[in-house]
Amino acid sequence: MSIAADTTTLARQVLVTKTAQRPWTGRLLRRSGSWSLGLTLPLLLPLAILGAWQSASTWHWISPQILPAPAVVWGTLVDLTASGDITTNLGISALRVLYGFLIGGIAGLVLGLAMGLSPTVRAYLYPTFNAISLVPALGWIPLLMMFVGIGETLKIIIIAKATLVPIAIAAVQGIRNIPENYFEVGSVFRFSRWQVVRYIVLPAAVPSLFNGVRQGLNHAWLALVVVELLASSEGIGYLMVWGRQLFQLDVVIATMIVIGAVGLLLDQGLQFAESRLLRWRRSAY
Amino acid sequence: MAKPGHLTLRNIRKQYTVNGNAFTVLDGVSLDIAPGEFVSIVGHSGCGKSTLLRLVMGLDGEYEGEILLDGHRLRGTSLDRGIVFQEHRLFPWLSVTDNIGLALQNSPLTKAERRDAIQQHVELVGLQGFEKAWPNQLSGGMSQRVAIARALVNRPEILLLDEPFGALDALNRAKLQAELQRIWQVEGITMILVTHDVEEAIFLGDRVVVMEPRPGRIKRIVPVATPHPRVRNDCNLLQVRESVLEEFREETIETISNAA
Amino acid sequence: MSVQVIPSTPALRRAAAAVAARTRLWQGLALPVAIIVLWTVATSANWVDTRILVGPWKVVETAWFHLTHHVLWEGLGYSVARMVSGFVLGGFAGLVLGVLLGASRIGDRLVSPTLNTVKQIALFAWIPLISVWFGMGEPAKVIFIALAVFYPIVFNTYEGVRSVAREHIEVARAFEFTRWQTFRRVILPSSTPQIFTGVRLGLIYAWLATVGAEYFLKAGPGLGNIMIDGRERFLMEQVIFGVTVVGLVGFAVQIIATRLETRLLRWRTRSNA
Repeated sequence: MSIAADTTTLARQVLVTKTAQRPWTGRLLRRSGSWSLGLTLPLLLPLAILGAWQSASTWHWISPQILPAPAVVWGTLVDLTASGDITTNLGISALRVLYGFLIGGIAGLVLGLAMGLSPTVRAYLYPTFNAISLVPALGWIPLLMMFVGIGETLKIIIIAKATLVPIAIAAVQGIRNIPENYFEVGSVFRFSRWQVVRYIVLPAAVPSLFNGVRQGLNHAWLALVVVELLASSEGIGYLMVWGRQLFQLDVVIATMIVIGAVGLLLDQGLQFAESRLLRWRRSAY
Repeated sequence: MAKPGHLTLRNIRKQYTVNGNAFTVLDGVSLDIAPGEFVSIVGHSGCGKSTLLRLVMGLDGEYEGEILLDGHRLRGTSLDRGIVFQEHRLFPWLSVTDNIGLALQNSPLTKAERRDAIQQHVELVGLQGFEKAWPNQLSGGMSQRVAIARALVNRPEILLLDEPFGALDALNRAKLQAELQRIWQVEGITMILVTHDVEEAIFLGDRVVVMEPRPGRIKRIVPVATPHPRVRNDCNLLQVRESVLEEFREETIETISNAA
Repeated sequence: MSVQVIPSTPALRRAAAAVAARTRLWQGLALPVAIIVLWTVATSANWVDTRILVGPWKVVETAWFHLTHHVLWEGLGYSVARMVSGFVLGGFAGLVLGVLLGASRIGDRLVSPTLNTVKQIALFAWIPLISVWFGMGEPAKVIFIALAVFYPIVFNTYEGVRSVAREHIEVARAFEFTRWQTFRRVILPSSTPQIFTGVRLGLIYAWLATVGAEYFLKAGPGLGNIMIDGRERFLMEQVIFGVTVVGLVGFAVQIIATRLETRLLRWRTRSNA
């Protein structure tokens, strides 16, 4: 752009290379050096665990009742997938999460925006909301069971509650943390109330809201496992309970792997969506 | 081209009440700014110069006295008045174009006219090629250029600048001061610059208003006769500078060290 | 969130906030009071079946009964003791591992990817495995609580240590600090705020896990038993009381955690002011 700008960029680059030479955490790695090592390192621990697990079953250190061999677990995972047990139950669970997440998410968003935008609504609702959200979702279960029984309604309510709280909190905080400066800019351009919401409040709250959605989905998945473990005759959590009751640990571990994989998928998916949606946060420096 | 605004301040007084104690930020400030004039206001921090600008912008409506623009009393903010803040205050989620376009949200222009106005102002501040960039990708100087374009895109009668280059390094600051002088000449509108940089005030202003604190009031108004465009080492400017700096030397050493 | 002009001095804003806070308190109480009134009226006028929804008075009676009998206090004692043991165990492990991973690039590359993957297994999905490996008794419960506490603490400690300003490390290097001195004088204090965020979250999770453990690993006394027992015998008042106690303990844990945090991190707010 200009000489002045060029010199500052140059200065910055010099600074970056200078500090990059000796990042305080990375001295050892840099000395040992190579790029490929950076890729192999993360695989060492899983391989070590797998090795220990395999040896434990090969040399009968632990009874297969307590810890079945990796190959057995893998076999069960393949069998359960082939027989459709995993897909069917996962489908049922996914639907529960979807309903609960949608209901809780929309309710949380509406509640959060209302409490964020209107000081009056916040004054009347926030303390009660806060008190309710402080009781862990689990704590509500026995009470809800007495009102709605142990059917689908209970599961959807619990999942919805687990989703609602983080999303509503994220909306409130996202809105409250918007710098007052931004509102002055809106005032300078004579924004109407609606324009302030549309052009300042919503976009400024998006990063926080996204965080809330991520947490909400995370909690929804956690809550699903809880309710399915507690009272269910189908679903991925039930598969686990069933395996536990029959003392088939291969089924239990296989289900854990599925639950972990779904969790990972959700997390990575949302991370990807976030980085796409919030590209403006990337800075040039 | 926008018609330059004629601003009149009459006996402005502004007080804040904190825990029952009133303290006066501005007292008896009167100033008449001719259409198309460039007026600089200098003073130490706490002399109320930024408060004065906020009153003129209409961001704060609680004061005594009168502020008239072209003979009419001000009421709240208006698109007739543009402002550039010390921090650029660009919205990080909008590109350069969209940030400038935001100012046109309530303008009577058509879509096509808006697009033209935005492009014209991007060019005015010399940011061609950065239209799609996000604020996070811009340097401080570039961000402030966008803020100037955003403030001018509505073709205001008067542009208020609240220490706009205060956060920039010296090289960028000098460059943007020259740019601002050029823009002022091109646009031909009234501008008021609040700054604590005496050289900047003199380089740009037709008149330099020196303010003193506690309560904030005008100490002296120094005319700068040198015609625009000016060069930095003009002898007359240097003389005016000595005379303005003399005003500050009279104040206590304590306040000077505070301002630094 | 008003669009109008905002008072521009902090002092003015504080003064206005103090007045507003008093009004807000009353407004905040309006809804809970309304609910209790509605509940009282609905049950005493027989709008609802009192077998399904008992009156508030019944709950108060039950609460009084429990508060004056040792079962509640014993249960509370067991639950809290469990929570504390799990917290200490999981918190310590999380702290040590978090510091190691944060300070050593090799350790980070070696362990973090695995840890991040394993973290994705929903907490309660560990229960069946834990119950096979450790039974239903105390060890299983404490291990489950420790696991719940471990995650937030390890990740926040890691983040805290990783985000120590390079400038501060350079200061340490300029004064030729040893590795230990750098850790003790620079890394630890500057990552404390983030570590405390982890501790606070850890405490919240600890209580959640304690309640969960008593649900799923039923054996032995605890607060959860009051609720479970109430539900099995269909004593609504006992369940409501149980939920309230669980909520109150959770609330107390949060308050203690937040107080502790603000107390220990006073320097942070001061430097910001």
